[in-house]
Amino acid sequence: MRIFTIAQNTFRESIRDKVLYVLLFFAAVTIFGSKALGWISIGQDIKIVKDIALSATSIFGILIAIFVGTSLIYKEIDKRTLYTILAQPMQRYEFILGKYLGLVALLAVVTVTMTVVSSVYILLLGGTLHLTFFLAILLIYAKLMLITAFAVLMSSLTSPILGAIIVFSVAVFGHATEVFRDLPPQFDGTSAKALLEAAYYVIPNLSNFDLTREAANGIDVSGAYVVWVLVYGLMYTMTLLILAALAFQEKDV
Amino acid sequence: MSAIVTKNLSKIYREVGKASVKSLDGLDLTIEENEVYGFLGRNGAGKTTTIKILCSLLKPTSGEAFVFGESVRTPQARQHIGYLPEQPYFYEYLTPKETLDFYGKLRNLSPAERNHQWDKLSDLLDLRDIADQRIKGFSKGMRQRIGFAVALMGDPPLLILDEPMSGLDPIGRRMIRDLIMRCRDEKKTLFFSSHVMSDVEQICDRVSILVKGKLTHRGRIDQLLESQTKAVEIITAGLSDETRRTLRERATDYRALDEQDIFVLPDEAAANEAVQQLQQQGGRIVQFTPIRESLEDFFLRQQTPTNEEAR
Repeated sequence: MRIFTIAQNTFRESIRDKVLYVLLFFAAVTIFGSKALGWISIGQDIKIVKDIALSATSIFGILIAIFVGTSLIYKEIDKRTLYTILAQPMQRYEFILGKYLGLVALLAVVTVTMTVVSSVYILLLGGTLHLTFFLAILLIYAKLMLITAFAVLMSSLTSPILGAIIVFSVAVFGHATEVFRDLPPQFDGTSAKALLEAAYYVIPNLSNFDLTREAANGIDVSGAYVVWVLVYGLMYTMTLLILAALAFQEKDV
Repeated sequence: MSAIVTKNLSKIYREVGKASVKSLDGLDLTIEENEVYGFLGRNGAGKTTTIKILCSLLKPTSGEAFVFGESVRTPQARQHIGYLPEQPYFYEYLTPKETLDFYGKLRNLSPAERNHQWDKLSDLLDLRDIADQRIKGFSKGMRQRIGFAVALMGDPPLLILDEPMSGLDPIGRRMIRDLIMRCRDEKKTLFFSSHVMSDVEQICDRVSILVKGKLTHRGRIDQLLESQTKAVEIITAGLSDETRRTLRERATDYRALDEQDIFVLPDEAAANEAVQQLQQQGGRIVQFTPIRESLEDFFLRQQTPTNEEAR
């Protein structure tokens, strides 16, 4: 009940954030502008539009999760709205979970809106929509849930700017974790290699969530793979939320 | 059962790259049920730190605190507390009615209970006219009213108020004072910090004075000030010139008003001698008033370092 109250309020608060509308505007421009790229790649225009629509949903979703998520708790402390809330008979984890769920609810609305816009646009251009397109959207949303959990963890630990830099870096490297594993031979035996290998195992492999190529080409994806990625994302998300709750539990506000 | 108990409560603020600051040093407090307790101290004395520890916003470095027997770290303790921060801030896009509903939900009140609370509190705090306006743009006084309503939400038996009168105009201060009196009549326990000594003197049963994180004085106001008679004012009539002259020599202040002579004598001993002299030499005592030190005088005296401390 309390978690839902906090979530509802966070949704109402986040939907007023101007950053959200700026990012949505650019996402729409990118999706509609994708047709221009389609013209240069003869016969491939629908594929390009699908590819760009999915990439825009992913990139702008990540940016919203980072910009709104990393300031979520910090803003409450800075504006002192937190004092009267945490003085209520509730556990601190309820607050963290409520804030998180409020933001992922907002991201659900954003993702659905962008999916509807992209789908209508693709159909208007004469394209068809395959199930993989929607599975790709589902995995993008699972990825956004994971990144939001990390943003909430950072928000309870550090300032929005530093938090945004860290989450952005992890989001970028998370799409190319194999870089840490397949290091050139000159790294052999160095402590940097051990550190980067550790990063390979700790940072979630976000490319697992990427079905853009399959969706653009209408290639089937096995249900088992989608379930595996969803479980993989959920495990990371839960771990990050537990860490956020633990960090916030002892925090002086 | 005691409403608040703190045992050897200390708080040290540590920040990377900065010197540690000891804000609270071994605070032992016991506040009984149905008491109105004033918590006095200058800015930075540790009042807000204590209040924030009681509301579980800060974790003490050492020591423990209990509210109605429950550790302040538990949600059960906060069930008993209504808290008003020094400057209450609420979500600006909500209206007062939505704000109270929000806090009612956080207290797990049913919709019927929340409606009942709104009816009661909006009347008590005069919120009806602004019920559906967004809080953004509200004055300090209006926010303080909403803050008080939030503190009273769910009818908690203990109210913890941090500087409830600070920054308010005389009407706002009066309103808060009346509310505190009303809560006292309803047998609530009130623990509040304040700079406004006259209000504290009028409202509180007991006070504590905190200086640099340490408790220096505590007790009933009348007991704290009992032995602190500053001077005695004697109003007399029908004095001879000679009596007037000798009394003026003893007095620290003198003025004549109509047919009366007013002497201020430095202490009770000097006043008693003056009375004896009057009885022997003739003259009438119209009024004999020991001038008690006010709480403000007492408080200010505690803040002034002694010569030894200054050294």
